[in-house]
Amino acid sequence: MTSRSTMVLIGVASLFAGLVIPVANAQQASGPVKVVQLTGLVGVKDNAKGTLDVQNGQLHFVHGKASSDVSASSIQDVVTAADSQRAVGGMIGLMSMAAPYGGGRVLSLFRSKIDTLTLQYRDADGGLHGAIFTMPVGTADVIKKELVAQGAHTTAPGESTPAAAPSTSSNKEQKQ
Amino acid sequence: MKRILNAAIWLSMFALVFAASPLLAQKNKPTKMRAAALQVEMIQSSEIKLPAEFQVALYENLIRQLEKNGFSHVYRDGDHNAASVANLVVLHSTVRGFKAGSERARQVTTVSGATSIAVHCQFTSPDGTSLLEQDVNGKVRFFGGNLKATYDFAKKAAHVANENFSTAGHE
Repeated sequence: MTSRSTMVLIGVASLFAGLVIPVANAQQASGPVKVVQLTGLVGVKDNAKGTLDVQNGQLHFVHGKASSDVSASSIQDVVTAADSQRAVGGMIGLMSMAAPYGGGRVLSLFRSKIDTLTLQYRDADGGLHGAIFTMPVGTADVIKKELVAQGAHTTAPGESTPAAAPSTSSNKEQKQ
Repeated sequence: MKRILNAAIWLSMFALVFAASPLLAQKNKPTKMRAAALQVEMIQSSEIKLPAEFQVALYENLIRQLEKNGFSHVYRDGDHNAASVANLVVLHSTVRGFKAGSERARQVTTVSGATSIAVHCQFTSPDGTSLLEQDVNGKVRFFGGNLKATYDFAKKAAHVANENFSTAGHE
């Protein structure tokens, strides 16, 4: 009897832990976060993959050997949103459209959830710039909070909302 | 001999007609307004609720396409350096329509899920005098993410600017 109740207790605890731990992990963005810079950072190509973190009042994007910094105090607006992108993207995703019997269409049903982080900031001359990043779910709000804590402004103080546009692809087609 | 002369006259007449028509067509083209530089204001969307990433993507793509179309001096919203430029043209863009669409629906059905943006573009002088107003649309129908509609808009808007304004060394 005792062993059965112990087993049930362990089972319930495991189930609860299984539900809570992934959420907690998703919310933690300790250290650099892997992101895709869709557009906007000066000197960085569109759809550049890199890491993003906030340190010493600076938003720091590292792409390969190059890096780009934006001062948190120069950020006029930081907005997060929930979005999704194709699970199979890029050239393979494009080529899959030619698969027989609608195989490519089936593949395009599989989408992964992502967060988007949109910034508006001013340069030294007062010129307004915008930058868009996509990143794993749960990380955009953490970066936003860090930015706001270090002097960035926001017009949307709440957490991220689902984007009006249900999909944002970071595939190469958007490149000019 | 007379036949050869006749043929030569007809030939020269044809050549004259073909050569003259492009010249006449160029005369009919509207004259471009002079713009030493362009300043792009941030996209406004007070009437339509536009996601922030679309607003930023419209703005950034617009600046990039204007630079690509030969406008060597494109100033951003709020740039102090633009204040001292003579013959500055300011581009105000206001979103009038937005349909979010769906990339998934586009890829699965091909016929539905198009994303479209309608933007009213107004070119003014720095004192606010309107020089040109035109509606420009951006669409993505088949391939690509929803943000590709912003690229489509930017290309068309840059084309409108290129058709109507000339900068030094850029006709």
